[in-house]
Amino acid sequence: MSLTDAGAPERAAGNAPSDPGRQRRGLTERLLAVRELSLLIALGLLVLVTTVRNDRFLSGQSVKDLLLGCAILVILAVGQTLVIITRNVDLSVGSILGLVAFATGSLFLSAPGTPWPVALVVGVALGALCGAVNGGLIAVARVPALVITLGTLYAFRGIDYYWASGSQINAADMPPSFLRLGNQTVLGVPVLFLVALVVVAVVGFYLRSYRSGRELYAIGSEPAAARLSGIPVGRRVFAVFVASGAFAGLAGVLYAARFGTLDAAAGTGLELQVVAAAVVGGVAIFGGSGSAYGAALGAVLLTTIGSSLAVLRIDPFWQQAVVGALILAAIGLDRVLALRVAARLRGRSAHGA
Amino acid sequence: MSATPLLELRGIDKSFGPVQVLRDVALTVHPGEVTALVGDNGAGKSTLVKCISGIHPTDAGEFLFNGEPVHINSPRDAAALGIEVVYQDLALCDNLDIVQNMFLGREKRSGIVLDEPSMEQLAAETLAGLSIRTVTSLRQHVSSLSGGQRQTVAIAKAVLWNSRLVILDEPTAALGVAQTAQVLELVRRLADNGLAVVLISHNMNDVFAVADRIAALYLGQMVAQVKTTDITHAQVVELITAGRSGALGLTDDSGGGGNGNGTQPADSISGGHR
Repeated sequence: MSLTDAGAPERAAGNAPSDPGRQRRGLTERLLAVRELSLLIALGLLVLVTTVRNDRFLSGQSVKDLLLGCAILVILAVGQTLVIITRNVDLSVGSILGLVAFATGSLFLSAPGTPWPVALVVGVALGALCGAVNGGLIAVARVPALVITLGTLYAFRGIDYYWASGSQINAADMPPSFLRLGNQTVLGVPVLFLVALVVVAVVGFYLRSYRSGRELYAIGSEPAAARLSGIPVGRRVFAVFVASGAFAGLAGVLYAARFGTLDAAAGTGLELQVVAAAVVGGVAIFGGSGSAYGAALGAVLLTTIGSSLAVLRIDPFWQQAVVGALILAAIGLDRVLALRVAARLRGRSAHGA
Repeated sequence: MSATPLLELRGIDKSFGPVQVLRDVALTVHPGEVTALVGDNGAGKSTLVKCISGIHPTDAGEFLFNGEPVHINSPRDAAALGIEVVYQDLALCDNLDIVQNMFLGREKRSGIVLDEPSMEQLAAETLAGLSIRTVTSLRQHVSSLSGGQRQTVAIAKAVLWNSRLVILDEPTAALGVAQTAQVLELVRRLADNGLAVVLISHNMNDVFAVADRIAALYLGQMVAQVKTTDITHAQVVELITAGRSGALGLTDDSGGGGNGNGTQPADSISGGHR
């Protein structure tokens, strides 16, 4: 591996920002692109097959339902991506969503005149508070996030049940302007989905282009090295949990707007779907890699599978098995890609030796 | 060799609770030279390095940097002076590429977003300046590099910041023969470029191959600091294991009197290495 390419660094120095520079950016980017492309292809195939069987699958209403259905999962998956990239996991998002959804309903119940933006802010703040509890416990107890958020999963849900004490909030209790938020479309695209798109774009841009975004990858990749490089690891991880909680809060408010009928069980079991979406989307569970775009695509794919299995008249009981197979396939694909890249690089350096 | 040492430590004491790890340690490091810091396990090498890099506060003693007294209370202070440490295994993030690793924690920005082109260019210039030719792409993940290449990148990362003193903690410990030679060559080149280098190593061959000076720690005391040309292999081993070797090292009346560099004429000789 010595002296393979004597000119390489000099060349690079000469024209880094120009064409060859672009090309050399390659490997990392290409790998990511491949990962997201394979998701898009899978999604395309799924839609194609389903449409061939039943052409109404691509009708306006059906697509609208699909987009509406995946929006909440997309937002949660993007929040989860932030957490998983730092080699943590947040299992409490389903419970935070439930708690915030119920809180939003209660807010409208007790103060009927509340404008919906206020409810939105309150919901996001409550979610962020729950996230801060997670982050604070992790920082203080120095226990893996898996255990802490498993605890808060039950704790937040318990608070939710205690608060609701069996009651239910109905759409009639909420102002129409708020409920419209959940069903309205702009040029045929549901507002909910637009919100999700904004979240994806913001987080995707942040992770790629901001220094603190880059630092999240470093933390997940090698916490010790990150610390030695002067990155405030504890603070970043705390912030990530607050962000995840805030996104779960946002999702909770949107959940309330969309479904209108709320009890304490809203969002039960959602956390595993969220983690599944992120993993299918190429966010490595060991941290340090993945993107918000991938996670969002993963969430869309999982939702689409749900509805296309129904259209294909496949027993809904199979759905979970299909999702499971998809997760395994995604992990397998990542592994194969990693091995191939490693083999190619080894081959390249072996030539020089 | 310049007359003023870049870094001079005097009378450094450090205890962890009841355990005194460093006792009245003195060390001088000159620009353009490789100073090897040797000592057995538990002699205090790592602690001394952590004191220099600001991770551990010292209990007593003076730091002189370029002849000026300084206080190093945090890694940030050390970095501001141009002191960089390359840790053995912990230096790099596998999932990031070479450029990302080299700028980790200190990324360049244009406005508020990362400035990738200029970081890439600076990284390429630094690697070229060190005549590093073994990496094919600056954008390959560090996980795909060999041990020697990783160490090379870690060293380049330390040099990137116009650093003046680079401390290497056993850079060759996990490397094969060819890779060790490659890294040592790089270490030598750092010194030849005018940097002060402190090399911690257990390997006497490495030490004699690149070091201009050898500083030996024995049970928390600096027992000798001599030029490599004035000492033999066997003497260094004696200093490491027994704290003395002939006239060098601890004397019988012992206590603090054994700071070899105070009594050695080593500093008066200038010139080449090896």
